[in-house]
Amino acid sequence: MPNLTINGIAVAVPDGTTILNAAKTIGVHVPHYCYHPRLSIAGNCRMCLVEVEKFPKLQTACSTVVTEGMIVRTDTEKVRKAVTGVLELILIHHPIDCPICDQAGECGLQNYYMTYGLHKSRYALEDKVHKKKVQDIGGQIVLDAERCILCSRCVRFLDEVTQTRELHIFSRGDHSEISVFPGRPLSNDYTGNLADICPVGALTSKDFRFKCRVWFLKGAESICTGCSNGCNVEAHFKGDILYRLKPRENEAVNRSWMCDFGRLEYKKANDARLLAPFVREGGAEKAVSWGALVPRVALELSRAAEAGPDAAAVIASPQLSNEELYLARRIATELLGTRNLAFTHRAPGDGFEDGFLIRADKNPNSRGARLLGIPDGAAFDALVERIAAGTVRALLVFGNVVGSFTEAETAALLSKVPFVAQVGTNDGPVSKVATAVMPSASFAERGGTFTSHAGRVQRFRAGFAPRGKARNTVDLLVELANRMGAGWTFAGEASVFHALSATEAPFAGMTYESVGSQGQECKP
Amino acid sequence: MSFEFSDAGRREFDRLLTRYPDRMAVVLPALHLAQRELGYVSDEAIVHIAERVGTSPAYVEGVATFYTMYNRKPVGKYHVQICRNISCSLLGAEHLIEHVSKKLGVAPGETTPDGKFTLSKVECLGSCGTAPVMMVNDDYHENLTAGSIDRILDGLK
Repeated sequence: MPNLTINGIAVAVPDGTTILNAAKTIGVHVPHYCYHPRLSIAGNCRMCLVEVEKFPKLQTACSTVVTEGMIVRTDTEKVRKAVTGVLELILIHHPIDCPICDQAGECGLQNYYMTYGLHKSRYALEDKVHKKKVQDIGGQIVLDAERCILCSRCVRFLDEVTQTRELHIFSRGDHSEISVFPGRPLSNDYTGNLADICPVGALTSKDFRFKCRVWFLKGAESICTGCSNGCNVEAHFKGDILYRLKPRENEAVNRSWMCDFGRLEYKKANDARLLAPFVREGGAEKAVSWGALVPRVALELSRAAEAGPDAAAVIASPQLSNEELYLARRIATELLGTRNLAFTHRAPGDGFEDGFLIRADKNPNSRGARLLGIPDGAAFDALVERIAAGTVRALLVFGNVVGSFTEAETAALLSKVPFVAQVGTNDGPVSKVATAVMPSASFAERGGTFTSHAGRVQRFRAGFAPRGKARNTVDLLVELANRMGAGWTFAGEASVFHALSATEAPFAGMTYESVGSQGQECKP
Repeated sequence: MSFEFSDAGRREFDRLLTRYPDRMAVVLPALHLAQRELGYVSDEAIVHIAERVGTSPAYVEGVATFYTMYNRKPVGKYHVQICRNISCSLLGAEHLIEHVSKKLGVAPGETTPDGKFTLSKVECLGSCGTAPVMMVNDDYHENLTAGSIDRILDGLK
């Protein structure tokens, strides 16, 4: 543990710590572009120069390891002058297209210019080297070579994280630019991260660019629903529109990264949403109020349950939270007294997985469903058989699809059930045939926990209120259950989780506080 | 169109592979080898070398474009490279470049229509003591004047 002082403040840090990270521990920010905590150290941007006593020249804080008794200053005139000079050099060939640049608002150049820049240009405009703008280089990325400051973060990311090496720095001197080799575009499933780590506007997201200025966006801690890995993400929204997902750091799950498929999951919260409850009578859709619909669904389910054992059924979904699954199970077993309870995977796609972040199971909570005693596989197949045989009179189905059934297959199956009530977020095969459609909140509009494939219980939080007339699923299920005489007093997800952790062994002792923002392993 | 080394080139490449502990180190000599066989480094050669070495074409392109001795476009039979860095400049390299440009009828970076000469400006040939300097293919010519350049270029078949 070397002891050193930074700007007069004494600090002790572990062996091998760099000056930049030592400074961070006492809240001193050293400016930098090329340094990234997840990538190797390049030391090429020279923005992090600091003064170290007894060293004749300024040192790069990102690559200099602290030693006992070191005296570092980051706030001297000499440092300031050096950083100002570096910034001036970087800006010589950087276009000032901030008004049309999508990085504006989260651009390192803009931010540091206000602190270290504010200088007049000493460079003749006609000497400027112009490089190619707006290049589609594949994946989710658009390249503007002119904005690039050659920090090489992207090159190192593709070298060290994906190991696909599609980008490199070509030519040298003031003609240096990053690009792909002709005819060899980005071809990995993590390209979106390049836009995240680019400190300027050289690599921007094809999907997000020009959609919204970042300073209008608010963020909520969330969990990606694209597969069972449970990558920690930040959901960025304005009003009730979700604009993008960004990876949120979690060393144990996704470090600082997320895949390209997960990044586009946000669209499901915006597009083809079910926004108002309706019933289907004689083939026609008819709008209905929640006040009328919930009692009706409760009545139909109860009647079916009274008609005989197993005449009511519940198909759960691994897109539901632990809290919602717990309530759905209790409705099935305690209130309906049926053994017809199973969950079905969302259409699994090609089941692709890559050993890094992408898992074959494209659902966020299959593990949670199984831990809460809801079966899938053979149990689901058996339930489908009983439905097809016409023994089920009322069905409560969660989600927008039934397994990997096509729209026609779904319609054929559900036509065997006289009353189908759906709790779902998006228009799909189920909503096209259900008798009663109850729109529910998307992952961005409600809170709860998912259990990842690895058994990590993680919280996602509501960014904004449910869109349209959609309802929070927990609230909806509590009301539905109470209409069937349950007498539940749950108030919100936290109280459900509290009850769940009291009775379900894998979750024993857990609270929302203990799960926190980084998750918690469930009991084996 | 794909690139393949000649039989001799392939043997040389295999020999080079045994020379370094790290395969990546073969990129530089392999590019030289390709340039010796083609006169320049083609896109196909870059893809081929990347595959043989086990890296991406972008990585090899990054190396090839870092060094000025690799030609990424075909050059003439004689590649005339005139240094314009500080010592050569002070001793009139700019005028010599202009002189050769006029004599050959091409601007720096261009090749004569008969494919005989390509003229390039380069940043440093590392021979300040004998400036101004030019390189024609692999040969150095030092202490140049307009007259000596004329004699050298006129003497080339």
